[in-house]
Amino acid sequence: MSFFENLKMAFGSIAANKMRSLLTMLGIIIGISAVITITTLGTTLRATVKGALDSLGSNLFYVYLSEKNADNYYDTVEIEVTPDDLIQLSMLEELVEKYPDEIRLADENSAGSGTLRNSENKDVSINIVGAYNGTLDYNGGKILAGRNLTMRDVTERKYTCIVSDIFVRQYFKKGEDPLGRVIIVNTEGGAALELSIVGVYKYNAMINGMGATSEEEMKTPVYVPNTIAQQLQGIYYDPGLWGTMLSFNIKYDSKTVQDHIQSFFDEKYASNKNYGIKISSAMDQLKMIDTVINVITIVVAVIAAISLLVGGVGVMNIMLVSVTERTREIGIRKALGAKKRAIKRQFVTEAIIICLIGGIIGILIGLLNGELVGLVANMLVKSDPTYEDLLGNISIQPSTGAIMISLIFSMLTGVFFGLYPASKAAKMNPIDALRYD
Amino acid sequence: MTVSNMAKRIIEMSNIIKRYYIGQPNELQILNGISLTVHEGEFVAIVGASGSGKSTLMNMIGALDKPTEGSYLLNGVDVSKLSDKQLSEIRNKEIGFVFQTFNLISRTNALKNVEMPMLYAGKGRKERSKRAMELLELVEMEDRSTHKPNELSGGQKQRVAIARAMANDPSIILADEPTGALDTKTGRMVMDIFHKLHKQEGKTVILITHSPELASETERIITISDGSIVSDTGYTGNAPDKEVSAE
Ligand SMILES: Nc1ncnc2c1ncn2[C@@H]1O[C@H](COP(=O)(O)OP(=O)(O)OP(=O)(O)O)[C@@H](O)[C@H]1O
Ligand SMILES: [Mg+2]
Repeated sequence: MSFFENLKMAFGSIAANKMRSLLTMLGIIIGISAVITITTLGTTLRATVKGALDSLGSNLFYVYLSEKNADNYYDTVEIEVTPDDLIQLSMLEELVEKYPDEIRLADENSAGSGTLRNSENKDVSINIVGAYNGTLDYNGGKILAGRNLTMRDVTERKYTCIVSDIFVRQYFKKGEDPLGRVIIVNTEGGAALELSIVGVYKYNAMINGMGATSEEEMKTPVYVPNTIAQQLQGIYYDPGLWGTMLSFNIKYDSKTVQDHIQSFFDEKYASNKNYGIKISSAMDQLKMIDTVINVITIVVAVIAAISLLVGGVGVMNIMLVSVTERTREIGIRKALGAKKRAIKRQFVTEAIIICLIGGIIGILIGLLNGELVGLVANMLVKSDPTYEDLLGNISIQPSTGAIMISLIFSMLTGVFFGLYPASKAAKMNPIDALRYD
Repeated sequence: MTVSNMAKRIIEMSNIIKRYYIGQPNELQILNGISLTVHEGEFVAIVGASGSGKSTLMNMIGALDKPTEGSYLLNGVDVSKLSDKQLSEIRNKEIGFVFQTFNLISRTNALKNVEMPMLYAGKGRKERSKRAMELLELVEMEDRSTHKPNELSGGQKQRVAIARAMANDPSIILADEPTGALDTKTGRMVMDIFHKLHKQEGKTVILITHSPELASETERIITISDGSIVSDTGYTGNAPDKEVSAE
């Protein structure tokens, strides 16, 4: 008897007892749908978080001074740090020069607030922030017009700045071109700072916050070369750093960039007995999320395994009932020449089909759950433009791996729990079976 | 070289004994050493009181059961030495059962029921349905081929069951009280089909019946009492009984 005929027979007898078959599948449906729901949410969460990190700084490294024999950042510093140990700006400049397209300096330095008077005689408040060529990356901003600050702006102490799109709306009249314009900032210290605008960036409210309820009152950063900011703060020498942010061009592989940075500093600190440089990345956060998702997945898998087990026992129970009910049928089939193997296969196939249908229904319910959660999540995201900026449209991503594994496991459940009833049927004595009523 | 006009021995039983509850205090001997030879093409009736062991003997002939003692050659093959799998094959290919209670599978229609033995013989779909349709025509049930058993009358069910018994062109048709559940008129119709199978198709038919009239229509009547053959009208074929073949 062919495989296809076996299938037809199995579907026939399942269809003959639709309600009972459905109830039998319930355990399997619940188990599988739980797994698919959770794994779908897990993979979606991961993809969304990764997308968000990518958009706001998966291309960031924190480079920090670390005791050479210490294991991590949080280890107590036992050996006193001397100024010679600190990271010098000149080192960073050298690093950036060595990999000009690849690595940018992303540190920032708050140098207080300032005000400007616009043409309507209204004061616009800003924050003066000392920046490098990668500081904008760190803040999740994007250049809309003009250019970003460069390392030359910093080293040559150029009185340049980049301003936010919000600032442009606050300060300039509609249609005015801010690029190349010179603005005069009145600092807290009473000094007036003349800066020429070289670029306009898109302010990232998700990272930097809204600050005020209305856009008119918002205070956004004006990024100036950090040397200018330090001048404002009365710092005329390089104080050295305990740690600094670096960003990199995302077209490079994060691992390669990290290796470049590490070996650069390893060389610099080769002669330093006590201190070296360590690097941590935003991707480390993603790894943490992965760990959490994995733990949740394992917990759900265990729950699913239990419900598959319970479901499987249910299937076995029903199959035993079915075998008893169909004793006479088994006797007839045997009298007509069905071999033990054929009878066994008939009932195992039936159990597998029941479990597979249960599994498929479970998968569909799981996918539906995922879509529903996606719908709600997207509704929430769309209700707040700052979230929408960051997360965009959340697309639900079912885990194909989980779907495959679910199908395989529901099938295995059918085999495992169908085998005993099926061999019970196969072993029946045809005469006794025929006499049964 | 076979001698023409001489039928071969299809069933050769000698000293068949069947016991139940062997080794227990209530040990029961149902068949007490039955010896029986049936030739190809015979129409035999087995009669006897209820509980005399007719069905037990029939199951033995049909390879549903193995004798406790004695030897049984079916088409020259010693059935008592066969494995479970080989017995299934014999039942599938050599035997066609017809039961008192029809024993059709209620979930499937007449055609599928007739196809079933062919399914277990591994025959293809087209061949199965073609043959099944022909057999339904033989028993004049072709217009009910898509009906399920519960949509058929008793006589119709039995005709479908006979068609099913013929599916793999077996050497023997075994019918255990095939008219037992039918009224006289319907029973008559079923009996006519057996005659047809015997005469037209040349089948060996063995029939258990409680009706002396039906038994008298056959060529040979074997009477069983308490597990023994008490009378046998004998082989009526005109071929010589001895020297089966000359090689
Ligand atoms: N599995 C069994 N275990 C014990 N005894 C059995 C078994 N099967 C049959 N018997 C006994 O064997 C005897 C013969 O039974 P069998 O069915 O062959 O009778 P029968 O001649 O066909 O009777 P009927 O005309 O009523 O059908 C009966 O006494 C029955 O109780
Ligand atoms: Mg009987």
